[in-house]
Amino acid sequence: MLYALGKSLGSEEGFAEVKACLTSPLAKLVTWGLLSGLLYHLVAGVRHLIMDMGGGETLEGGKLGSKIVIVISVVLIVLAGVWVW
Amino acid sequence: MVTNVTNLSRSGLYDWMAQRVSAVVLAAYFIFLIGYLAAHPGIDYAQWHALFTNNAMRIFSLLALVALGAHAWVGMWTIATDYLTPMAFGKSATAIRFLFQAVCGVAMFAYFVWGVQILWGI
Repeated sequence: MLYALGKSLGSEEGFAEVKACLTSPLAKLVTWGLLSGLLYHLVAGVRHLIMDMGGGETLEGGKLGSKIVIVISVVLIVLAGVWVW
Repeated sequence: MVTNVTNLSRSGLYDWMAQRVSAVVLAAYFIFLIGYLAAHPGIDYAQWHALFTNNAMRIFSLLALVALGAHAWVGMWTIATDYLTPMAFGKSATAIRFLFQAVCGVAMFAYFVWGVQILWGI
């Protein structure tokens, strides 16, 4: 990703090259995969912060929280897929 | 049981805080970046270049890169000390774990230097 950032910022040709590369179906799948991992990590991380502050720490709350994380992540991952394609 | 000599700060509480603070920085950075890209669907080179030559964006990007290094270090240290243990690898566990952590450390340092070169080289 740093390589793509460096190339896309280095020159106009580099930017066009990166942009063209990202339009291929395989690149889109990889981008979606990376975004999916990031989004799930982000949502689960926010839950961690909420639990650090004492929210949802009961057995019931823990179970509910884990389900909410899955639901929000799936919604965001689907939206990311729509965005990428 | 493994020794904790390689943890980030020699303090579990400080590591815990570093992980949370770096997490908030990374969340802010990625939400901003994804939001920016979503708001500019047909972005061209001039816009993209202008975004990253802005000094505030350079500082924000470098902050995110440092946070990524710290966050990754705490995370990889946790994985290494949880799973690369004498229970799993016997006598060679310390060598395996140290090698794994060394590779992680070199990677994070390399990403940091590379990031500085990109951000200040354009």
